[in-house]
Amino acid sequence: MQIQILQLFPTDGSSLQEYLSLFFYDLFFVYMIFGQTIQVRRILYGISGSLNRIQIARDKARKEVSDYIQKNGYKGDPSKQIDNFIEYFTLSPVSLDPAGIMKKIEYLVKVRDERMREEVKKMLPDKDHVIISVVENLLGTSMALNFYYKVVRHYYLLGKKTNNLYLLVQLQMILPDLLREVEAEVSSIEPLKNAQPVGDGIGAMVAGKLMLNSEKRVIARDTVMAQVEYKNRNLYVIKAEGPAGNVGEVGTALEYLIKQYGLKPSAIMMIDAAQKLEGEVTGAIAEGIGAIIGGIGVDKYKIEEVASDMKVPLYAIAIMQSLGEAISAMPKEVAEAAPRVQERLSGLIESKTKEGDSVIVIGVGNTLGVGQ
Amino acid sequence: MSNLFFKEKKQWKNVAIEECTSCNLKMKRPFKLGDYIFKEGEKCQKCGSKTLITSIFKEEIK
Repeated sequence: MQIQILQLFPTDGSSLQEYLSLFFYDLFFVYMIFGQTIQVRRILYGISGSLNRIQIARDKARKEVSDYIQKNGYKGDPSKQIDNFIEYFTLSPVSLDPAGIMKKIEYLVKVRDERMREEVKKMLPDKDHVIISVVENLLGTSMALNFYYKVVRHYYLLGKKTNNLYLLVQLQMILPDLLREVEAEVSSIEPLKNAQPVGDGIGAMVAGKLMLNSEKRVIARDTVMAQVEYKNRNLYVIKAEGPAGNVGEVGTALEYLIKQYGLKPSAIMMIDAAQKLEGEVTGAIAEGIGAIIGGIGVDKYKIEEVASDMKVPLYAIAIMQSLGEAISAMPKEVAEAAPRVQERLSGLIESKTKEGDSVIVIGVGNTLGVGQ
Repeated sequence: MSNLFFKEKKQWKNVAIEECTSCNLKMKRPFKLGDYIFKEGEKCQKCGSKTLITSIFKEEIK
């Protein structure tokens, strides 16, 4: 029997090798029994490091917005108001009966935006709309970073409490992507404070150039329109009103144009930044069909409704860029794409419409630092 | 991008491009607070006409 047991630990007779052999066998059994706990501890350690980084990012954004408000003349400490904003939430409407839900979403978003603007104006009553919009955008960044922090912390603590390896592994897997998004949000702070154009502003930039020497009218909240003649066609150019940091309500503006002007356009052409895939070149241009617009979906819905009701083709021009490039200072490659976008737009207008036609051109995106 | 999480070796500067409305001369200068695209710029260095800021972007310092 003893020989049989010793066969499990083959040695050449030296006691050192015997001990080593025993040690590795022990290690094997320990890992079999406590392996999951060890892995949980290791993953928790990694996640806690990332959580600290997200917390640093959130606190940095919060401090930046506080400093910006104080720099612009707010007397006192705005921390309490900022904390209220950061924790502010909007409940989505009931979707059990989805008919008419877009109207409700639009209303709720409008109430939220107006409330935020009113509160910011109360803090900085003498400031112009550019500064007000910068504060709104900075608060938006702080809210996003706070949300990232709270969600990651929630799953970290839940995994820790329940020793749930599988929950923690999922969090660990998405963390690199999450950190990239957090990094992108942090990189947007500086250009926002400077009120300089961001990558997402390329659509507004192209539309702004088209309407440069024409009369502009505000036809929806933070949204302007100009009538421009181009090669015997009537262009109705829409964009958010710059240089403040708005995205406007281009869907509402389009509805207004159709209803109030009795317009029957031959085509709707939209220009916007689009998220590139890894390996794609920043500033590359692509053409397609459909309503190219992000956000919660209200404007996209309205534009699609108008286009499908009136049987008007929807053409899209996309300027490729990463999320980080879209929300931080406009990269050179994106800015240099503007003349090429204009050429593509001209080509599209000339090839898809006839002389005498009416065409609606919508420059989509945050128009911070882009006039018209 | 800032270097909060990932090491970034590249350094950036913000620039504005002013374009003359009559002779189309393009002038590059550092971005200043208050600049925005389609804002009237300084007088053209060549013909003295008015200029327009036509582009603002960040570029890598090499």
